[in-house]
Amino acid sequence: MDPVTRVRAALLPAGLVLLVFAGALTVLATGPLGVAPDALLAAVIGQGSPEAELALALRGPRLLAALTCGAALAGAGAGFQILFRNPLAAPDLLGVSSGAGLGAALALLLGAGAALVQGAAFVGGLAAGGLAVACATLTRSGDGRLALILCGVVAGALASAGLGLVVIAADPWSQLPSITYWLLGSFTRATLTEAVGALIPVGLGAAVLIWLGFRLDILSLGDEQARSLGLPARPLRLLALAAAALMTSSAVAVAGVVGWIGLLAPHAARLIVGERAGRLIPASMALGALFALVIDRLATAFGPAEIPVGLLSAAVGAPAFLILFVATSRRS
Amino acid sequence: MSGLRLKGLVAGRGKTFRLPPLDLTVEPGEILALIGPNGVGKTTLLKTLAALLPPIAGAIVDAGAPAWLPPPGAVSAGFSVLHLTALGRAHLRRWSPGLTPDDLDAARGALDRLEVGDLADRPFDRLSSGQQQLVLIARLFVQDAPVCLLDEPLALLDPAHAQAVEAAIRALAAEGRVVIASTHHLPFAARADRVLAVGPDGIKVGAPAEALTPDRIRALFGIEVSGCPCCGQALS
Repeated sequence: MDPVTRVRAALLPAGLVLLVFAGALTVLATGPLGVAPDALLAAVIGQGSPEAELALALRGPRLLAALTCGAALAGAGAGFQILFRNPLAAPDLLGVSSGAGLGAALALLLGAGAALVQGAAFVGGLAAGGLAVACATLTRSGDGRLALILCGVVAGALASAGLGLVVIAADPWSQLPSITYWLLGSFTRATLTEAVGALIPVGLGAAVLIWLGFRLDILSLGDEQARSLGLPARPLRLLALAAAALMTSSAVAVAGVVGWIGLLAPHAARLIVGERAGRLIPASMALGALFALVIDRLATAFGPAEIPVGLLSAAVGAPAFLILFVATSRRS
Repeated sequence: MSGLRLKGLVAGRGKTFRLPPLDLTVEPGEILALIGPNGVGKTTLLKTLAALLPPIAGAIVDAGAPAWLPPPGAVSAGFSVLHLTALGRAHLRRWSPGLTPDDLDAARGALDRLEVGDLADRPFDRLSSGQQQLVLIARLFVQDAPVCLLDEPLALLDPAHAQAVEAAIRALAAEGRVVIASTHHLPFAARADRVLAVGPDGIKVGAPAEALTPDRIRALFGIEVSGCPCCGQALS
């Protein structure tokens, strides 16, 4: 490695973290209840003005939720893309998002409170992912990756069918709006407890994926190469899937179904840091957090009615993805 | 390094595909060429030896940890050649947080040794099949497995790369490893220490001079050859 590359490799992580931090401060400093960064920092250590403390209390949890969910979806997406060597792999690959959506909608139908809805989404997501993995284990195709993708489609389809049933059964006046709103995704609901509650499983999943690092690179070569290189391919792959599903479920449980982050952020990160999992996963998480931040800021930028984050992320993410794709294909 | 001993090993796949039982000892440092028509089971046998497929019957004795390579062009990786080569030491770093500078040094040494050191920072996917194959053999040196199982290591390669890969295979064996390579490149088989021929009439193991006579080639592939690769005459 030449010195320039080495310096770049050392500065990049710090730069990405700084970028996310600066983005968070900018978001808090602008918009309704905007507070200057120095006043905010004072509020964080408990010495701030009442306005700053109010702004932090009102907007802090939402900000934390956006950062956590963005990072989680992007990290999980990167993990799936590496594991399956498929650039279209996204966090909902195993049907996790649909499963979480079904869980949340069912809880809303039964009139559960916010915490219970979050819990049901989390369990639903993991159940769908677990179903996909269990079905894939039943098949005996050589490399398990195709089976996993197909079983993920099956689990996702079943969950979507269940979700459709819940939507039909829901009361169109009292229940349907909240279910629809939940499915479109939003960081508005997040309380501090919810945001921290998501941060813990997301941190755990991220730690596992980052530890897997070069082992993920080997898994991306396929099971036969992995076993021939002396790694227990199946247990490691299950561990990676569990970590990514945990991160996705936690994010969907807090924010609802927010697409595109998990697809877009890893592709953008790949342009900056290359394909190695040890770098790609943290870089994707930083960019995902940043993207979620921007989207959430945009959600409140157009007048009093908030635009659902899930809609915005697709509206911004899809064209951005196309631009990235064109840029990458021209580069090679 | 220890050799490889097979006791009545039956390789096969699914419910019906079976190779005949095989008793064989391969000495350390020996190169065994595996020849036979397409679809006869060469890859199945290699994968069984590599413990990627379970044996139907019999056993592999004293194999150590075998290393296996698919044919050129079958491995795809977007990261750098150096990283891919260093992954050969993964079995030493199973639970470590990451690869170490030692692993990278070992990878660099192996790449230099096969004269592909200048490719170290390139993405593996951007190399030619010949360059990729040399890099993967460099990874075998880094992995340091006592038994190297190569599936058609010379397929798709131009003559210069075929020569370089063959020299690298000899170097693998010269350090005391067992090398078993399937091939359709009969001159390569002729230069091996022994030839294992899998054909419609069973499995035969012998010196190249016995295994590659026009009669045996006819029995194996159903074609006429005008010469023998062992005595210098070109095969038609």
